[in-house]
Amino acid sequence: MSDWTETYRPTTLSEVRGNNKARDQLREWAETWDDHRKAVIVHGSPGVGKTSAAHALANDMDWPVMELNASDSRGADVIERVAGEASKSGTLTAGGSGRRLVILDEADNFHGNADYGGSREVTRVVKSANQPIVLVANEFYDMSQSLRDACETIEFRDVSKRSIVPVLRDICRREGVEFEEEALEKIAEDTSGDLRSAVNDLQAVAEEAERLTVEDVVTGERDTTEGIFDFLDALIKEEDARGALYASYDVDETPDDLLNWIEDNVPKDYRGAELADAYGFLANADRWLGRVRATQDYSFWRYATDNMTAGVAASRREPKGGWTRYGPPSYWSKLGRTKGTRNTRDAIAERIAEREGTSVATARREILPFLSAMTHHCKNRELTVRMAATYELDEGEVSFITGSGKTTNKVESIVADAAERREERTVEHSGSAFFGGESTDDEDGGDGDDQQSLEAVAADSESSDADPDGTDDEPDDDQSGLSDFM
Amino acid sequence: MFKAIVSAETLTSALDSVSVLVDECKIHLEEEGLEIRAVDPANVGMVDLSLEAAAFESYEADGGLIGVDLSRLEDIAGMADSGQLIQLELDEETRKLHIQIDGLEYTLALIDPDSIRQEPDIPELDLPARVVLEGKDVNRSVTAADMVSDHIALGVDEGEEFFYVDAEGDTDDVHLELTREDLIDLQVGPAHSLFSLDYLKDMNKAIPGDAEVTLDLGEEFPVKIYFGFAEGLGQVTYMLAPRIQSD
Repeated sequence: MSDWTETYRPTTLSEVRGNNKARDQLREWAETWDDHRKAVIVHGSPGVGKTSAAHALANDMDWPVMELNASDSRGADVIERVAGEASKSGTLTAGGSGRRLVILDEADNFHGNADYGGSREVTRVVKSANQPIVLVANEFYDMSQSLRDACETIEFRDVSKRSIVPVLRDICRREGVEFEEEALEKIAEDTSGDLRSAVNDLQAVAEEAERLTVEDVVTGERDTTEGIFDFLDALIKEEDARGALYASYDVDETPDDLLNWIEDNVPKDYRGAELADAYGFLANADRWLGRVRATQDYSFWRYATDNMTAGVAASRREPKGGWTRYGPPSYWSKLGRTKGTRNTRDAIAERIAEREGTSVATARREILPFLSAMTHHCKNRELTVRMAATYELDEGEVSFITGSGKTTNKVESIVADAAERREERTVEHSGSAFFGGESTDDEDGGDGDDQQSLEAVAADSESSDADPDGTDDEPDDDQSGLSDFM
Repeated sequence: MFKAIVSAETLTSALDSVSVLVDECKIHLEEEGLEIRAVDPANVGMVDLSLEAAAFESYEADGGLIGVDLSRLEDIAGMADSGQLIQLELDEETRKLHIQIDGLEYTLALIDPDSIRQEPDIPELDLPARVVLEGKDVNRSVTAADMVSDHIALGVDEGEEFFYVDAEGDTDDVHLELTREDLIDLQVGPAHSLFSLDYLKDMNKAIPGDAEVTLDLGEEFPVKIYFGFAEGLGQVTYMLAPRIQSD
């Protein structure tokens, strides 16, 4: 059985339901396109008929259509080649004076990896187009400012129940399905403004039943996602334990994120003992999340969610009311702000760990604080220079450990001294290496510098054996050295 | 039912001339030969190809329709050495195409023709000017223009009676004039249109250097390019919509 949303897709604009004003705007935009030559953004919730309207418009105007939707690959190069060419070229039937409608579906979604550079290319195409372009989008503000400015805007509103019912009735008549009026109203109500879902639901139910009744419809209720702010309001002010837990099922956040949201917003309404209780449950939830991380057993999530939702709701002792300004977790913005500092700290810790043979965590937790205390404000200059030399620290890192300003003369001179010291030490080391190499040079006439020091070691062990031929190896020497063959 | 044996060259040139515009296409297996019609995703370029049954070593078909992934089929055809024969046979049961090149057997899964872009209607165009020239002159024009620009103007000067190619870049220009002597034939009429070089470059790849190429041109109208291959038993027609000349 074919998809009813396809079968009953409007073929002309006059069949587009529920958005008469937007529909007329779209028609007017097309009819006056030759004068303004601007692209148009058609935006609104999913399933209200935006794409259908664009295709119906093309049909009405007798314009051929070029459509790029989310299922096509939409990298910048494809957009330039396909949409760019389509928007600059005339048509095959009428040449340069012929119009073509370019439809860019889901225009708010030109980002992510596959579409890298896509949104910028779309803006370019829109600005240099010689053909009418319709951009279809769900979220108007997900598109860049420059793109929004370059286009006219038409909003498609959610389709009202009053408009959905006649559409469903019409389809039922044409499909020969008997129905109860209330059943259609129930479908229309459940889908809250989404005409496409309403038609899909109708088809799903009608395929099962001979005659459509309200009881049939009840089976197919739709999941909707609830916004996080509505959920917080319900959790903190209204719902009981069970209600809060159920409400959380419709929220599209992981327990880890949800915990942050709740934890940050609960103190805005809870006071005193109830707040203490709430935090007790949040702490439990956090422990469960820790267990999830440790064991990778995600079935523990349920206990975390129970605690953070039902627990918090059950802790409420005073009735809450009014409006509270909830905000995103400050933990996130803090992470963002401290990112640079944390990176510096980890970079230093890694170098210390490598040098001292500890783990990075130990270096960070146990060594770094001592270094910090010992070199506080570079008071012990000699020690600070030695530290900077040993761990090869730059100005930023020295300033991070000592707490002195990064651009001060003090820090700069320490780093300079440290660099000098490092150089000296390198020369010292290589000096002895060269020296050792030279002593054996005459015997085996080695070649490369690095190789020489290795040979020197090998030659030393050989000479101590007092075996000039080297035929009789040490008994425990299973592995031959490179120099054995030179 | 479809069963045919064809030389590698003929099959490759047929496939190449379609694959410059689309990745997948429908092939009509008519009694008198193969037919392919396709339009590119941007709706700017179109190809209409026919290959007569006589171009095949042997050919049997009764009007089926198959959908193929062109690059796959091209790869397979590329396995054959020049002069080798390729044997094609459609398995109606499994909807697969059995391809045999000497001992090499390849079974190609076909694409549901309904899932491929609709075939275009060939528009009836009344194009006043006609230029007939050698494939290598087309190649020369396109290559020269490509050095300076991404679009190219093709036109006919009615007074002086010559065909011209213009490409204007940001800094450099290319201009080429071909008079009656340089051309095989010229039918003078009002003609001047701008075209995308990307498309012409691709189409040019499919045009053999020694082919006799006919260009039908108009003023701000699509160009029709046609030429024969496989000793005249195959015919390719390209149509390309003009760029809109912005002011």
